Amino acid sequence: MKILVCTFAEGDHSKTLDAMRRLPYEKLVLVGEAGLEESDSLAKIRRFEELSGHEVDTELVFGDGFMDMVDQICAVLEKCSTNGGTGERNSVILNISGGSKLLGDAALFAAFRLGIRACHCDGRLTILPVLDGATAKDRFTAAQSRFIRGLGKDFKPLDAIVSEESASSRQAAERVIRQLRRLDLLRTTVKDGRIHVALSDAGVEASRALRRSSAR
Amino acid sequence: MVAVFGTLGYRPKSLIPTIRSTPDVDKVVFYCGADKKDLEATTKVAEAKKAVLEYCSTMKIAAEAVQLEDPFDFKKIALKIRSDIRKHRREGKEIAVFNIAGGTRPTSSAALLVCILEGVPTVYVHDVTYEEIPLPLLRMEYSRVLSNEERAILKVLIRNRSKDLTEVELARLVGKHKATVNHHLGNLIKKGAVRLEKHKRDSRKKVVKVEESTELLLGDDQ
Repeated sequence: MKILVCTFAEGDHSKTLDAMRRLPYEKLVLVGEAGLEESDSLAKIRRFEELSGHEVDTELVFGDGFMDMVDQICAVLEKCSTNGGTGERNSVILNISGGSKLLGDAALFAAFRLGIRACHCDGRLTILPVLDGATAKDRFTAAQSRFIRGLGKDFKPLDAIVSEESASSRQAAERVIRQLRRLDLLRTTVKDGRIHVALSDAGVEASRALRRSSAR
Repeated sequence: MVAVFGTLGYRPKSLIPTIRSTPDVDKVVFYCGADKKDLEATTKVAEAKKAVLEYCSTMKIAAEAVQLEDPFDFKKIALKIRSDIRKHRREGKEIAVFNIAGGTRPTSSAALLVCILEGVPTVYVHDVTYEEIPLPLLRMEYSRVLSNEERAILKVLIRNRSKDLTEVELARLVGKHKATVNHHLGNLIKKGAVRLEKHKRDSRKKVVKVEESTELLLGDDQ
């Protein structure tokens, strides 16, 4: 099934109609913030979809934290990606031109995290360069991915991490640690004369993205 | 040299905290613009631009206000920002941070897209508290996602986008065997970077068309 997911807020009905006209879809999902259900613009879109015997699904995202919003939009996109009844993969395209600036930007971020096709449609249609299925797991080697997934925000002694890494030699493990540091994915500190490492904020995002993309 | 990039709308307060919080800033580059038919918006953006330029002048920081011809043209804005970032980097300047809080929605989203593609540290500024929120961006390394052969094919297609190239003609331009090019095209179609269309005059043939987004993907690498 082809699903069109649009970020949406009051006043966005013409932008959304434009996307509906330009992009083929079988099901429309609107993602918005508080007050979405009471929106006149949503009522207009619902009436329009009823003409073809279809319903509009709505998904609410809450909170003003950017990354919270990214996580919630990722959850919506993952839900849309699979047909709940048959388990088959749906074809999802995300239009980021509606809703608040924060919502649109969070949606763009989520599209890159999951490798979901995305576009900006506001008079002009711009398909964004998110390659289908190209996600975090394509950015790292298998060893780098294992380390990222094995670490958290809390510091762990480097010695312990290296000895836990049974799939590669000590030298190889240390090389991976150096690579991840160069990518600014790790933080290091010295405690009791021992080096401790933890994921940086970018490392935590990499870890989240790896978990999400492996689950897809 | 350390540069701060940003997008600016009505509120200088959305950009100035980033200039304050970044050490040793030598240059500020910001993108602004308003719908020319909207007099109120034009006036407000001009006032905000003046305030940021005054702030930078007082702090003895070089400032460049990039006036966007159309602040709603997502693709043009993204291509402009990407080209400027690459130019700064080629000149050996460090881009400390990109503040994407201000400006129109397409301007902010286009800036975020470029930051993801170029791996530029990015911040948002909270609407109410003016607190800076760093975004944990990861550079989307397309060199890992696209093979050298795929990139070569895309570059040839972009250079010849006005032509209707068949797979045979494309193979000739790329200098590879048709079967090899066919294999890479299959991968590019799966990734959504190119599509096949029917030839206008000969329905037995297919022409290879590059998706518009590929231009944004490769930027001025083309």
